[in-house]
Amino acid sequence: MYSTLYIKIRRFDGKKEWYQGYHLPYEKGRTVLWALTTIREQMDPTLVFTSACRHAICGSCAVTINGNAFLACKTSLDEVLETFQTPHLTFEPLKNFEVIKDLAIEWEPKMEKMEKVKPWLLPAEDGSKELGFKQSEEDYHQIAAPTDCILCGVCTSECNQLAVNDGTYLDPFILNRAYRFAVDSRDGSPEQHIQPVFENELWKCLHCMQCVSKCPKGIPLTEQIAYLRQESIRMGEVNNQGARHAFAFHDDVRSKGRLNEMTLPIKTDGLVNTAMRKVPFALRMIKKGKINPFHMPKAVEGIKGVREIYQYAKEVGE
Amino acid sequence: MRYAFFPGCTLESAAEELMISTKKVAAALGIELIELNGWTCCGASHIQDVDDFLATSINARNISLAEELKVDKLLTVCNTCTLMLRTAKLKMDKNEKLRTKVNEGLNRSGMEYKGSVEVTHLLWALIQDYGLDNLKKLVKRPLTGLKVANFYGCHILMPPNVMGFENHMNPQSMEMVAEVLGAESVDFEQRLACCGFHAVFPAEKEVMNLTGKNCLSPKAAGADCLVTPCPLCQMQLDAYQPDAQKAFKEDITMPVLHLPQLIGLALGFSPEELAIQRHVVDAIPALKETLQLQTV
Repeated sequence: MYSTLYIKIRRFDGKKEWYQGYHLPYEKGRTVLWALTTIREQMDPTLVFTSACRHAICGSCAVTINGNAFLACKTSLDEVLETFQTPHLTFEPLKNFEVIKDLAIEWEPKMEKMEKVKPWLLPAEDGSKELGFKQSEEDYHQIAAPTDCILCGVCTSECNQLAVNDGTYLDPFILNRAYRFAVDSRDGSPEQHIQPVFENELWKCLHCMQCVSKCPKGIPLTEQIAYLRQESIRMGEVNNQGARHAFAFHDDVRSKGRLNEMTLPIKTDGLVNTAMRKVPFALRMIKKGKINPFHMPKAVEGIKGVREIYQYAKEVGE
Repeated sequence: MRYAFFPGCTLESAAEELMISTKKVAAALGIELIELNGWTCCGASHIQDVDDFLATSINARNISLAEELKVDKLLTVCNTCTLMLRTAKLKMDKNEKLRTKVNEGLNRSGMEYKGSVEVTHLLWALIQDYGLDNLKKLVKRPLTGLKVANFYGCHILMPPNVMGFENHMNPQSMEMVAEVLGAESVDFEQRLACCGFHAVFPAEKEVMNLTGKNCLSPKAAGADCLVTPCPLCQMQLDAYQPDAQKAFKEDITMPVLHLPQLIGLALGFSPEELAIQRHVVDAIPALKETLQLQTV
């Protein structure tokens, strides 16, 4: 193992930004938070970062190391060294947040944004705050995973859509919060949580799987996004690019077993929009033989069985 | 070596060059690929947004087609197909209730998911099963001087509980393959970036911005070309590159190869035999210059 680690930290004093390096004697079995605390206590009292509970419950100590977000108190330094195979680590504040100072980030705008999804219980008629609610074990388990969220911001930092978005798209933890109330048996108005999610670019999730891979609580964020999309469809929001695109795949598999790449843009964007916007793309694809406009795919062998699966899924889904 | 082969929809049309180059490379390596008879689209990370039970069911069906072939592994050359198939497999294997329910649907056409087949990707199979030493022995034209930027794509790495072949934060498999082929891997900022393909319709502006970044980053690192194990990343980075260019002042031009094309070049095939001429951004001039290939 290494005797000394070289930790480079991105500093920010409100005006200027710079990187500062620290040589930290290696100690076995430590956490990332130990590294930060040791630097602040023994080398540089001016270093600013946030932390409190040291038990992965307050969610305040997340930072990025070599571009990846980690909850500092829960992350073993040895695992980080093993991952990156180098004693040179670069610590930076979480991405997709405003930085206050050094590694400290601003949460206030995110909290304001979260209000859009009404992140509180809208009581169903069979209970009230005075009388309470009865909830079955099964219903409780619906909200067990989403209520594990500690608002650490790791998912936001890793979100590839937020990195290029104008700020409208909702952070994964906000989607989680909307999901958490939408599936709560005590909540009487799931659509009031889902509608704002739909209206704030729900279909722009890139499916990159970063949020679900990095969440320190293992919350199934991408399955939640799929659920929110399914529900928005059930609520009648089918006339949009995202839903039409998903249905193009869904319907093509039922019809032939495979995707028809030729009709996909038309199904997603409509004939007029496709004609207006996708012609240069289509022409270059045709020119390279990547699209054959005359190719009509045949149904796959066993298509009858595929359609029976669709029929069965419909029966059990009802 | 024998694998059931799941090509995926793009290999039948937009990425036919990947079908051509995969078959050429497999034959040259002595790997037998038996295409599944009656495979369907994997759902491409979209069908679960309509019906997740259905998405699991169609892939359980795909896997059961491979089981009928009495092979150990089902091989793909697409990141997303791999992820969709492995996701279904993981769900089926760990949730008996779901497995019984899905199998009820499959039974209607006399099929059954048993769980006897693993799902792998060509990149993994080369390292895990074939062995890079064996690959190295067959290299006829070392790709000396070729600087490649390995673009992994998300779905071959994440989520790690489904994929898990290597550390998703610092993978090395592409670099290992490039090395035995004699190419030089360049390090670049966007090496593990998302290509954005799955949301190119609803998030066109954002995805074109990503595409531009994903081309400029390897360019800044001095790469001759990008290489990817995923045809969807390839399509996003190559076929949409002229559209992405419109959002950038600087020239973003960057050829993008499929992994089997890179391997095929080292095995001695010409760019044309590997159908590299089918790419929108012409990769052939850069390859010919660097590898000093004879013009056909």
